[in-house]
Amino acid sequence: MRPPRVARAAFRRLSPRTRGALLRRAGLFAPWEDGYGLTPPAPAPGEHTGPPDFVGIGVQKAGTSWWYELIAGHPGVSARPDLHKERHYLSHFGTRPFGPSEVAEYHGWFPRRAGTITGEWTPDYLAYPWVPALLAEAAPAARLLVMVRDPVERFRSGLSFRLAQGALPTEATEALAVRQGFTAASLRRVLDRFPKEQVLVLQYERCAADPEGPLAATYRFLALDDGFRPAGLHRSVNVSGAKLDLDPEARRRLVELYAPDVDDLVGMFPDLDLALWPNFAGDTGDTGDTGDTGDTGDGGPATGRRDGAVTGP
Amino acid sequence: MTWKDGVADLFQRAPAGLRGRLPAEQRADLRYYLGRYRPWEAGFDRPPPEPAPGQVTGPPDFVGIGAHMAGTGWWYRLIADHPGVTSRSDLPVARHYLTRFITRRFGPEEVDGYHRWFPRAPGTITGEWTPSYAARPWVAPLLPLACPEARLVFMVRDPIDRLLLGLARTSDSRASQAGDHMAEAVDRGYYAAQLRRVLAVVPSDRVLTLQYERCVADPAGQIAATYRFLGLDDSHRPAGLSRPPDDPAGPVPPLDPGTRRRLADLYAGDVADLAGLVPGLELRRWPSFAP
Repeated sequence: MRPPRVARAAFRRLSPRTRGALLRRAGLFAPWEDGYGLTPPAPAPGEHTGPPDFVGIGVQKAGTSWWYELIAGHPGVSARPDLHKERHYLSHFGTRPFGPSEVAEYHGWFPRRAGTITGEWTPDYLAYPWVPALLAEAAPAARLLVMVRDPVERFRSGLSFRLAQGALPTEATEALAVRQGFTAASLRRVLDRFPKEQVLVLQYERCAADPEGPLAATYRFLALDDGFRPAGLHRSVNVSGAKLDLDPEARRRLVELYAPDVDDLVGMFPDLDLALWPNFAGDTGDTGDTGDTGDTGDGGPATGRRDGAVTGP
Repeated sequence: MTWKDGVADLFQRAPAGLRGRLPAEQRADLRYYLGRYRPWEAGFDRPPPEPAPGQVTGPPDFVGIGAHMAGTGWWYRLIADHPGVTSRSDLPVARHYLTRFITRRFGPEEVDGYHRWFPRAPGTITGEWTPSYAARPWVAPLLPLACPEARLVFMVRDPIDRLLLGLARTSDSRASQAGDHMAEAVDRGYYAAQLRRVLAVVPSDRVLTLQYERCVADPAGQIAATYRFLGLDDSHRPAGLSRPPDDPAGPVPPLDPGTRRRLADLYAGDVADLAGLVPGLELRRWPSFAP
């Protein structure tokens, strides 16, 4: 039963932290919260469950909701609207036992119709060091997707998003936002467990500029018909609001902080186009303030058009 | 005293059980409303205290950079006990100053601001110990700017023990996101990665890495080594040399063997790297990583 409209309007006026606390007190948890029930829903008639065929593992604030919807729009994919794209199941097992019953429970979260594939996209997985080992145990054959984005712009977007969602304004929150930009270090942990051919790295800025080529490549990677053109190809999804102010001197320090990881990432995936990351294009020591260059929020197509395929296998 | 200060004091004096009835995030909101921020929160804007008569300020002589839940409070107290050290009880041991500059400019004014947090009597040394400095990747490059001559102390502890204690310690104030809370705790145990960032900008002879378990086994020997490293007379015998039983750094909560193996696997590479960086590290004291 839905609460009356007045109550819903009043609830929306509360701060995100208070809303979250009230929901938790009422026993309502999001998949990424501690009290969330891990028992999967029953499959609908005609559905069966099993390991996910694909798992998006990164990164937050890089247009992953948009890209997941484009995948889910394919007729060869099962995606139930009552299941969050971010299952977050593996997030809960950092220090909890993970054995065959947990693997089976994880599989229960992936109902699909016969003849279709299914999966999830939990962008935080890449930043959680314990996840690759669990994923290799629970879904060794899954195809993994990673959408990467200029780490400095991702940091700005990620930190403002977390603060707007009600995260406490502490250095731990800042550290989380910083950590998620060390993509190469995190990907190395994944590549310790999965062959490179099983991982597709997409570049957000390239997808935003010209989604058709990267999307066809994504479909091919997932063994889907790449002739399909979904609705909403140029629609923004989950666009983030105001960006965080970043002092030019602080930006320079962030660029220096990320530069070795970006170099490593390009070494692993040479098709990444650094021209699309002005913070790191050319001399990384003198970037100045690039403002909102190349940043259209979280999924909105950028202006201009660039050719090129996705990076990866 | 403003009315907000009055309310804040009343709240602070309320029994812990009563305060605890309010969820952690609402307690924080109340504090923010009253203008009370902790040193590790973005709104913290308390000015440094005035130096007492006869005291002077300047860059810290030593900075403890890690690690959280590794007995750093105990070790700082032993350092502060030395007559050659100034330590004011009205100043937080963990100044947290340098962690505030991830999005903000860090220039000469900010360096001066940092120095004002370190009053000391003439002829003595002073410093701080912020256990999260090593774990925050943006702090290491600030150290040579803020205190190029400072000696750095890094206390490390079996990373699995540290993780379990860290999780237990922060469970009340954790982020509502379970994985983020865990990731923050896991991250703090990658000591070698942290140390490498520091050694990239600070000469190795100005960094002392201590092992908590060695300090527990031989506090007299290890504190003497610490005093020598700080240029202090190493014959001083401080009070409270043994780790106090109510130290927040122990005891370690239990863990099932399968999960312990997974965690050991997670840290194995970093621990091996650390053993190479710190020749005195005794891995036999970390059973999950013993050769």
